[in-house]
Amino acid sequence: MSASTLSRRKFLQISGVAGSAFCLGYYFVSGATEATFLNPVSNNDQDGNIEMNAWISIHPTGKVTIFSHRAEMGQGVYQAIPQIVAEELAVLLEEVKVVFAQGDNKKYGSQVTGGSSTVRNSYKNLLKLGATAREMLLEAASNKWSVPKTECYAEAGHIIHRPSGRKFHYGELAAEASKLPVPENIELKPRSEYKLIGKPLKRLDTPLKTNGAAGFGIDKRLPGMLFAAVEHNPRLRGKVKSFDDTAARKIPGVKDVFSLIIKVHNTEREGVAVVADSTWAAIQGKKALKIEWDDSGFEHINTADIYSRQKEKLHTEEGLISRKVGDPDEVLARSTKKIEALYQTPYQSHACMEPMNCTAHYQGDKVEIWGPIQAPDWIQGFISDEMGIDKDNVIVNLTFLGGGFGRKAFTDYPHEACLISQKMGVPIQLLWTREDDMTQGPYRPGISYRCEGVVEDGMISAYKARMSGQNIDHWRSDKRDVANRNTSEGFLKPYFDSLKNVSFAEVQFETPIPVIWWRSVYASTNGFAYESFMDELAHEAGKDPLEFRRQHLEETRLHNLIDKLESVSNWKNRPKNGGYGVAITECFGTTVGQVVKVSKVPGGGIKIDQVWVVVDCGWYVNPDTIQAQMEGSIVMALGAATAHQITFKDGLVEQSNFHSYQMPRIMHAPPVEVHLMENDENAGGVGEPGLPPFAPALTNAIFDLTGKRIRTLPFDINAV
Amino acid sequence: MISLNVNKKAYQLDADPNMPLLWAIRDIVGLTGTKYGCGVAQCGACVVHLNGEAVRSCVTPLSRAAGQEVVTIEGLSENNNHPLQLAWKELDVPQCGYCHSGQLMSAAVLLRENSTPTDQDIDDAMAGNICRCGTYSRIRKAIHKAAELQKQGR
Amino acid sequence: MKQINTRPSFSKAVLIITMMILFLIVNLASGELNYHHPDNAGNDELKKDSVESVNAFMQVYKVLMSPRCMNCHPSGDIPLQGDDSHIHTMEPKRGTDGKGLYAMKCMNCHQSANVPGAHTPPGNPNWHMPPADMKMIFEGRTPRQLARQLVDPNQNGHKDTKALLEHAHDGLVLAAWDPGEGRSLPPMSHEDFAKAWNRWINLGAFAPPADAK
Repeated sequence: MSASTLSRRKFLQISGVAGSAFCLGYYFVSGATEATFLNPVSNNDQDGNIEMNAWISIHPTGKVTIFSHRAEMGQGVYQAIPQIVAEELAVLLEEVKVVFAQGDNKKYGSQVTGGSSTVRNSYKNLLKLGATAREMLLEAASNKWSVPKTECYAEAGHIIHRPSGRKFHYGELAAEASKLPVPENIELKPRSEYKLIGKPLKRLDTPLKTNGAAGFGIDKRLPGMLFAAVEHNPRLRGKVKSFDDTAARKIPGVKDVFSLIIKVHNTEREGVAVVADSTWAAIQGKKALKIEWDDSGFEHINTADIYSRQKEKLHTEEGLISRKVGDPDEVLARSTKKIEALYQTPYQSHACMEPMNCTAHYQGDKVEIWGPIQAPDWIQGFISDEMGIDKDNVIVNLTFLGGGFGRKAFTDYPHEACLISQKMGVPIQLLWTREDDMTQGPYRPGISYRCEGVVEDGMISAYKARMSGQNIDHWRSDKRDVANRNTSEGFLKPYFDSLKNVSFAEVQFETPIPVIWWRSVYASTNGFAYESFMDELAHEAGKDPLEFRRQHLEETRLHNLIDKLESVSNWKNRPKNGGYGVAITECFGTTVGQVVKVSKVPGGGIKIDQVWVVVDCGWYVNPDTIQAQMEGSIVMALGAATAHQITFKDGLVEQSNFHSYQMPRIMHAPPVEVHLMENDENAGGVGEPGLPPFAPALTNAIFDLTGKRIRTLPFDINAV
Repeated sequence: MISLNVNKKAYQLDADPNMPLLWAIRDIVGLTGTKYGCGVAQCGACVVHLNGEAVRSCVTPLSRAAGQEVVTIEGLSENNNHPLQLAWKELDVPQCGYCHSGQLMSAAVLLRENSTPTDQDIDDAMAGNICRCGTYSRIRKAIHKAAELQKQGR
Repeated sequence: MKQINTRPSFSKAVLIITMMILFLIVNLASGELNYHHPDNAGNDELKKDSVESVNAFMQVYKVLMSPRCMNCHPSGDIPLQGDDSHIHTMEPKRGTDGKGLYAMKCMNCHQSANVPGAHTPPGNPNWHMPPADMKMIFEGRTPRQLARQLVDPNQNGHKDTKALLEHAHDGLVLAAWDPGEGRSLPPMSHEDFAKAWNRWINLGAFAPPADAK
């Protein structure tokens, strides 16, 4: 058996599509940016250790399976990947089966489903993949019929001979196609000929999500599986001094109780696990534990101290420069009209509706896990390192994710599940309760900003921003001598071309609180500070805030977006102080502008009447998915701006469930109108870029209506 | 032994009568469409019908459901074709989908009791169901759509 | 629980009811409204005492305005929640029967007993709000307004004196003293509340003056 057929068989085992006649995938030669395409049957000369990235398989019955190496957490990759491939492959989308990959970055490159990266990083290769397979099927058909390939065309899963009307379905050609060499320099369809891409096609996962059939992590069941819950140290870094499990062990169904330690970045989290025959018994056992914690050796932080320290640092330290043009300090020093503002943003929990959970089966030299996981490859490597198991024997299976938002890229809960299964010797499902999820983090860091600027002759002559908050990278790296690379994330890059004196700096700040990416990451807080300050500068200049932005941007693409935003919101005809606010931010390759219209509620408070959204994400797959992501991002941003925050008192998180971490509910969701820019620019992300502009557009609208500047989030919208 | 009728099927459960119905359904009966979200009746992910009412199964003791009719998302329709399910699919309401079992079960009580709900009625019925993905505007549209479908007898 | 230990004869009752009606007429005419019913006189002496009755009501008022009572007697159609009496966060509505609406009926979350643990729904077999046609609002009422409302059968759920006296021992009223983990109790024991309630009613159910707080 040759190496390559071995690897092909492994593919088929993984995918559960045994019996497929034709497989085609792509992989990256180390260091290459262009993908190499590979047919595991015909490319016998290939090194069997190279395995393919996204791929297609065609069964003799004609069933097409498309393989997704990324996680589906609501953002729509389960739809986007097949919609791209099916376009060039010429198959009916509803007849395509989608299968999740297992974790292995040796095979697939990064699988970290974050940074709104799936489509923008892989769409070109996915198009080529579909087109290459189609060409091989065409070749196989023309060979079978002994007709010129030019007389054949592909449509709806068939190759048709135009002159005679004869046709083969793909399954009938799969075996022959698989023996052909992989063609190069395939021509891709022009965008104008797309039948699937760019269309608001129905999501393939929706039917599974209306009748309870979609399998989330928490739904995994294995024979002989037990259920586990863990009481963690409520101060995040403390140790278990001792525990009394007498009462816990008396709960019917409780099988075992033991302490354990998991890694959280470069620190440890300690807890006591209860394993039982039902989730309920495990949770009851957890509640019955009496644990004495050792909370010495680290600061018991208070929220008030976090922000007073950040403020002090922002007034005493220049910080590390991340980006600088000209000399804003010089202009600020000589100007008598300097304006300055301090903005404050809170820590936030991701609060995915599906709390952290993972099912693990430890089998000595091998461990297999199933879970709602955003970063299967990272988790595979982490567990391999921590548990001393060969990486190939750490099998990470993806389920649907009940929300992710960055939290489910983290390694803590899968690691904990593996340790518990190791101790028990049987498969276990670990479930964090909502209280665990909310009190344990990691969180979005709370960040303060000090912005200073000078406006001269109606234009910005100096812009200086300093941010102070925990740097997420510091948890993974000891490097402290460089500024946070995302200090200006969210800020429109073309501003750097027109602003003559501008600087961004990070004033470093540490606490014992674990932090991680939260939907749109730094842009989620930067956007509030920078787009609020842009509004303050426009006000100082006495200019229309949208026009003020346009005057500071030289890029046509952005001017087009501003024109669109202006027209859809009827911006020019808005009444003076009519409650209109605007903000525009860019992250992950996509620019989103939003106009928010607010009005006063009789008796107090503010109502959001309308949100207009203009998205420029370049080439795109599914406009309905984009619209949905914008609608959802706005609700999430609304919650973070007006409803919830994580606070700390004496080292303890003060929120524990949705009673104290209030979510926006259906009556709070504002009407949202989404418009998409049409252009041929490279694809940008869509899962996150809709979030950052909402909070500043809202507070800018409130300023327009009331004259009140809101510089601290969250704020009580009913008390404005 | 506790007798439970779930989706018209009888079960005898050897379980603590204080166990919430949610865990009995998920871990013992084995129907996993009903979700855990908060455990304290805050989020609505666990809504099932108990004698037709949209109870939060995470706080409903098994004893309350004993001998009663329970319907879960798996039993809302025979073929994923309740007017709400059709409307949910037509408008692609779910994103991650985790909360939607509960959303649909809540909406089903609304449509049964009010065949032409207004936006205010929808707020009044659905405010107990949290969606972190923020699909609320589509939930609203889909309930209106389902009301139309229901009227047309679909 | 206090036992009723006086059983006046029928003729005596008729006489006293007649007197009570007279009191009512007199008091209505004078702008006061009070009640006096001998059947449930308890240990209190049968007499009309406006000062003592008002004093007793001011005790009662403290309890009725505590979150445990007021939260389900809001001025709007959404119950209140918590010791700070904020609007019930998921905004369940009263409905016509006071039992909620659609998927948001009270008993969909509130069980027949308190759910164990903190921040869980408190429970009672009869958990509900006053119905839409008889809202029995406590929130925002002055002592005088509330006292007058409580004795007005058109505003108190058509309760006569007997029913009103018995209401102090209603299961849902008693639930205030078993509020579930983490919730404050009313400012006095149920026994003291019932005593004050009876005293207020039996001494004439006088309403405090307009400036009482």
